[in-house]
This record gives sequence, structure tokens and C-alpha cells, in this order.
Amino acid sequence: MKIAVVGKGGSGKTTTSAVLARTLARSGYATLALDCDSNPNLGISLGIGEEATERLISVRDAVDAGEEEHASSAEDLVARFGIEGPDGVRLAVVSAIQNPEPGCP
Amino acid sequence: MRVAFVGKGGAGKSSLAGTFARVLAATGRRVVALDSDPMPGMAFSLGVAQIDAGLPDDAVEEFEETGRRRYRLREGLTGTGAIERYAVRGPDGVHFFQLGKARGARWDNTRQHFGFQRVLDDLPGEDWSVVGDLPGGTRQPFLTWGRYAETFLVVAEPTPASLLTARRLARLAVTGSAPRVVVVANKVRTPRDAEEVAERTGLLLLGAVPFDPALDEADRLGRAVLDHDPTGPTVTAVRSLVAALSTETRAR
Repeated sequence: MKIAVVGKGGSGKTTTSAVLARTLARSGYATLALDCDSNPNLGISLGIGEEATERLISVRDAVDAGEEEHASSAEDLVARFGIEGPDGVRLAVVSAIQNPEPGCP
Repeated sequence: MRVAFVGKGGAGKSSLAGTFARVLAATGRRVVALDSDPMPGMAFSLGVAQIDAGLPDDAVEEFEETGRRRYRLREGLTGTGAIERYAVRGPDGVHFFQLGKARGARWDNTRQHFGFQRVLDDLPGEDWSVVGDLPGGTRQPFLTWGRYAETFLVVAEPTPASLLTARRLARLAVTGSAPRVVVVANKVRTPRDAEEVAERTGLLLLGAVPFDPALDEADRLGRAVLDHDPTGPTVTAVRSLVAALSTETRAR
């Protein structure tokens, strides 16, 4: 199954996503938690800690840096740039805004 | 004074920005309360019934310049004129102006976005104060959406996610056009909470707003906290923020 959680800022999207991901993982599903927020905080709610969340490199940055040449597939990217969280949830950050760029939404 | 509120979603930007705009307007200044968050919020904290108060499409015209598509205000329309004509007058005389809400799956914001920037570029500096409510998170507030601001107020709760967002914003500001960036600690329960927000963001603490159940009540009722609890902790703290920034703006 593939689930996307959406809603207004502060309404609890990240918390809901984290609890869903860990609950599914505990029930035996191989679970990928994808943080698609340009301000990614899902790691904190999953329980991987503030520092690891801050350090986590985004998949898009890896692709921009040319890593797709070495990664054979999307699975490979997630495996290499994701991080293992509690209950075996795999967390990957899709995109983070690292530098000021005019025109970017 | 030109300020913009930024921070994580749910940190309290809209509540504080709307209250700030009205408190400032009540001192007799001409204030544009500028909502560029695609989610509704500021209309509620201002106590304005109309959620959408943007520029109509015909206020902006398209033209070509060196082969590129550009936008400008319709001939004869000035920034002040656009505010007077299209902004919604709210309580305390505040002018509520909105960058359009997403109206459908493929709604194009370009024309309105550029028109919006032209209005701001054209507002006379000394005559108008601008109080902006920006989208949550780190979506380039410093170069485009909030480039009118002289001071950015990062609203941060004493929680790891909120503080992490505040640090990211502080980092983006340093590498951007280098505006002044200060932090406002929100939903603090102890004085230590406010100190922690200052320490863990590395930003100057402009003020602290206490955790306030009356704000939650006002949100549930869809009322401005300024009308719901005008002498309560949130409004009192926002008055201090306005006073702190006004003193400073005069000094500079």
C-alpha cells in the first residue's frame, strides 16, 4: 500500500505519518517513510533523533550531485541515502531546501 | 516597519502576525497585513470575514521584455491604489491583502504572484507598514515571497522540529539578502523555554509568547484572539513585540 498524508501546517501530518509507518512496520510490512516536505522533520517524529534528522541527506541532492550514475535503481538510492529507524522503518528525505534560490516556490 | 513572520507549520505565525498587524494599525499607522500563505490563517487572526482578498487578474498585465514574459500593474494602477482598491479593510483599519489561494489542481499563481510583488515594490516606504504571514517551512522566504521585509520574525516553539526549522531558516537568511532575523519564542510554559529557543536557534530573542489556552479557544471559534481575549497573555505579549520593534525602528 502507498499512503500520502496531507493537511494544514501544524495539524499533525508528520506525527500521523510517523505513527502509521511504525505501526505498519511492527505489523510486519517492509515500510518506507518518505519525507516529501521541503522542511523535513519526519525523522524527529519517527524517533531517529534531532541530529540524525538534521544530517540526513536528501535523495534529490544525491541525484543532483550525480549519484544516479552509481545508483542502479530507486531502491538503491533509498538504500544508500535513507536511514534505518525504529521498528525497521526505512526513512528517506525526498527534497530539502538547502540554499536560497530565487524563483523556487 | 516591514516585518515578515516565518517558521514551522503550526508554530503560530498567522495568529501572531494578524494580531501584530492590528495592534500596529491601532496606533494609527497605515498597515498592510499581507497573507502569502496558501492556507487560510491570517484572515481569522485579523477577524476579517473574507478569506480571499487578492488582486484580480485584470489588475496585472503581461508584456514582453527582451524576449521574456514579464508582468506589471495595469496602466495607471499604483501600489497604493491597488491596496486601497483591492485590499479588504479589517478591524482597527488594517488593510488585508492576500496572494491568491490555490483554487484548483492546476491553478497558476504566476500572474498574481508577480502583481503582488509589484504592489509591494511600489508602496511608499515611510507611509506604509507591512506585516507579512509567510508559508510554513523553508520555502525561500528571503528572496521572493518575503523580500519586502526588513526584519524576519522566526516563530519557534520549544520543540525539536520547530527549532530545527528555525535553524534552517536562520541559515537560509545568512546566505540570502541578509535581512535582520530575530526569533520569537511561542507557546512557552517557563522562562527556561524562551532561553532554550534563543540558545538552540542562535538568534536574538525579540520576545516570548506564553502558552495560552484562550488562543486555542479563539481558533476553535474562528475568532481573532484580539477580539476573544483582548487583555490576555497572547495579545499582551504581541503588544510587547510591537513596542520592541517600534522602538528599534525609530532608533535606526
